[in-house]
Amino acid sequence: MSKKNIIILLLSLFILMLFWEITQSATTTADVQQGTQVSTTKIGGNVDYRNFPVVGSRVAMWVIAQLHLMFAAFVLAVPMFVLLIEYIGYRTGDKRYDDLAYEFTKLLSTSFSFTASLGALLTFALIILYPKVTNYLISIFSWTFFPYVLLFFLETGFLYSYYYGWGKFSPRIHLALGVGLNITGTIIMFIANAWLTFMNTPAGITESGELINIWDAITNYTWMPINIHRFIANIAFGGSIAAAYGAYKFLGAKTDQERAHYDWMGYVGMFIAICALLPLPFAGYYLGIEIYAFSQTLGVTLMGGTFSWLFIIQAVLIGNLFLAANYYLWVSMERIEGAERFRKFIKYLLASILISFLVWATPHSLVATIEEARRMGGAHHPILGVLGVMSAKNTAVNILILTTYISFLLYRRGNKEATVSWAKKGNTIQFIVFATTIIFVVFLGVLGYFVEAKVRIGLSIPQVLSVLLAMVVVTILDIFMFRKARIRGAIKWGKMPNRAQYALFFIAITFAWTMGLMGYVRSGMRQHWHVYGVMKDTSVDAFTPTLGFASNVVSVTVIIFFAFIAIVFWLAGLSGKKNWEPNSSRQPLTEEARS
Amino acid sequence: MKNALKIVAFTLIVTAFYSYVGQMVPQKETYPPESREIRPDLTVDEMVDFGREIVGAKGTCLTCHTFGSDKPERFPDLNNIGRKAGSRKDGFSDIDYLAESLYDPDAYIVEGFAPGMPAVNKPPISLSDKEILTVIAYLQSLGSAPSVTMQTKLKSAGRDLAAFSTPGRTALSEEAAASATTKPVDSEHLDGEGLFKKYLCNSCHRIDAPVKLVGPSLYDAGNRLTTAQLYQAILEPDAIIAEGFPAGVMTASLRGLGFYDQITTKELKIMVDYLASQKGNK
Repeated sequence: MSKKNIIILLLSLFILMLFWEITQSATTTADVQQGTQVSTTKIGGNVDYRNFPVVGSRVAMWVIAQLHLMFAAFVLAVPMFVLLIEYIGYRTGDKRYDDLAYEFTKLLSTSFSFTASLGALLTFALIILYPKVTNYLISIFSWTFFPYVLLFFLETGFLYSYYYGWGKFSPRIHLALGVGLNITGTIIMFIANAWLTFMNTPAGITESGELINIWDAITNYTWMPINIHRFIANIAFGGSIAAAYGAYKFLGAKTDQERAHYDWMGYVGMFIAICALLPLPFAGYYLGIEIYAFSQTLGVTLMGGTFSWLFIIQAVLIGNLFLAANYYLWVSMERIEGAERFRKFIKYLLASILISFLVWATPHSLVATIEEARRMGGAHHPILGVLGVMSAKNTAVNILILTTYISFLLYRRGNKEATVSWAKKGNTIQFIVFATTIIFVVFLGVLGYFVEAKVRIGLSIPQVLSVLLAMVVVTILDIFMFRKARIRGAIKWGKMPNRAQYALFFIAITFAWTMGLMGYVRSGMRQHWHVYGVMKDTSVDAFTPTLGFASNVVSVTVIIFFAFIAIVFWLAGLSGKKNWEPNSSRQPLTEEARS
Repeated sequence: MKNALKIVAFTLIVTAFYSYVGQMVPQKETYPPESREIRPDLTVDEMVDFGREIVGAKGTCLTCHTFGSDKPERFPDLNNIGRKAGSRKDGFSDIDYLAESLYDPDAYIVEGFAPGMPAVNKPPISLSDKEILTVIAYLQSLGSAPSVTMQTKLKSAGRDLAAFSTPGRTALSEEAAASATTKPVDSEHLDGEGLFKKYLCNSCHRIDAPVKLVGPSLYDAGNRLTTAQLYQAILEPDAIIAEGFPAGVMTASLRGLGFYDQITTKELKIMVDYLASQKGNK
């Protein structure tokens, strides 16, 4: 028997065993554990839950759903920035951009298959393992499923014609296909977001959960915030994976030309990721505001209760993201002739990032022994405890964003010298804008300690707006200031140390882990509710697990995801390989040898 | 191959690092709150004990309120609330004030704080009237002597269900509806037809024939409208107006009758099911 047949046989046996196990657990006698019912015995009757072997239904659903989300994020994001890159190539006539866009698109076809397969697996898992909640959601959202599926047909058509039709259509038609792909993908995401946001902030239903208005159910409190947050986060995540692809190809490059190309690819992916990362915290704040508006209890559970320590883990992740992104930019400046004049600023930028990171990661309450708590006078450190509240953290993240933006600005100016007559004034204005914004942000942060809660909560909005305004104003000034700039030296693409590529891998892994963690908190904040306030979770997994357990599940999911991504990268790289040819030294068998 | 192995190892190390960070923070499992049976003959001391337990668990009060902090965050500190409750609102005893704060928290907002507390008799908290009595006993005990008993009739018990008629808001639980009703006991036994008459729907709508009155005939409502539309037609009458009929009349009539203050979720469902069964084949 060939190896392939043995593998197929073993897989079939495994699937049969799995099926047997699931059906057995669904038909065993009802087993009441701690007042919860695991399954019922009625033949053809309603079953609330079914068990998944070994890991349990909750973990199985968690991993499948998270993998689907990661791939979906990637598949939705890549067409967005690919379209933009293709458009830049079209407008400038620079074929490098068109080639780069096409190369990113190579990652899409396999990823789309993974997304769809995981989506199907997710659907089956929901139906098999959680029939009660699935039935309920179907009763609310049944009419959204048909457009969702039909849009997949449309997306398939757009995606494959966009990819296989590259260079076969006129540029305008091809761009239009890209627009169609993006619109379809975005609507698909919006529909799916309605289902999951309804589970957290249900609307449009009666007290007993019956549907009143489907549009109200869709446009619940967190629907639009999640739409915006995911739209931006997808781009950040997709950019980081694309950058990781560039890094992977860079490390395997054989020629200087290849290294230069993949260095550039990695930079473009990273640039996209960080551009999207900068406004992402603001989208997160909007989501938080709407969660609080729906239910203060839900909001406080999320930020101040059970999950407060999760956001300390998140602070570590995001801080690492900013550190790695800035490190990549600083190392990149080494390959830009003329950028050495900005080296002296790096230590200040690093100090700013580290201090902001530490402030953000400082918890409010400490894990302390009774003796330690007595000496501190409570669970909060007498000095550092003040840094554990949102006033300090909002300030820190805004400073972190501004610092990263400054790193970008210096990178952008690396080999350029402004030739406009008002360059010095322009620099002064930019400096004043930065200084004013930083002082304003810090002032509001300190003010937050001296005002009541409802005033303090509102202070985050002017902080955010001032940072956004500063970035916009400085960018506009910079664009005009560096028009027709003198180029001091070349950018030596490809002359990058390997550690910079590992910084790109680090960013991609950290993004994926952050997605996993945030996916957990989005579901976990409901605690023992399938649909918050409507349908209780009465399964054996109705408890909220420890953060340690959640971290392990997220890690396993991330590893599986990158294993799949490795397959995507490998398949995408096949098209660049030479065709297989029979070995020319092999001679055909003689008749004598054959007999 | 060497590069691939290095990348794999790097991925595993970074992932393991984040897992390690996850193990370093406090580890806590949280279980769904348990409900205990509350006997009608509890003593005041027993009520205080029950109330303390509920405040720390099922009531989720500690999520938002502090007890003895001089720097409360979003919501008031509840230290000595037993002493303060009697003088908070004119005409309200301490029991009345505490009851109103639990059933209808937006009725009175302490100065310096914003609204946001959920009604504890509704989901997701869904405390029963008995559980609320014990919570009041506990809160009274903070700074004062509890005077509430299991036989105390609370002014605020049986709040209306008007909250869920607001578009986009949610109000959910059969339990909450059952405890919120103030209707006479015999209404519980009315069928759809009985409720249709009780709430005077028949004064504006015919249901036995396709004849228009002030409002359209509901003779074949089950054929024309889905269940969701029937709910909407009752809870938000002005959302969709039948052709040839004026807007605002039904809303004004129902409000004037106190319909939204009286109807329970159970009755509403019975009525909607009754209307959905009207197929015009009489």
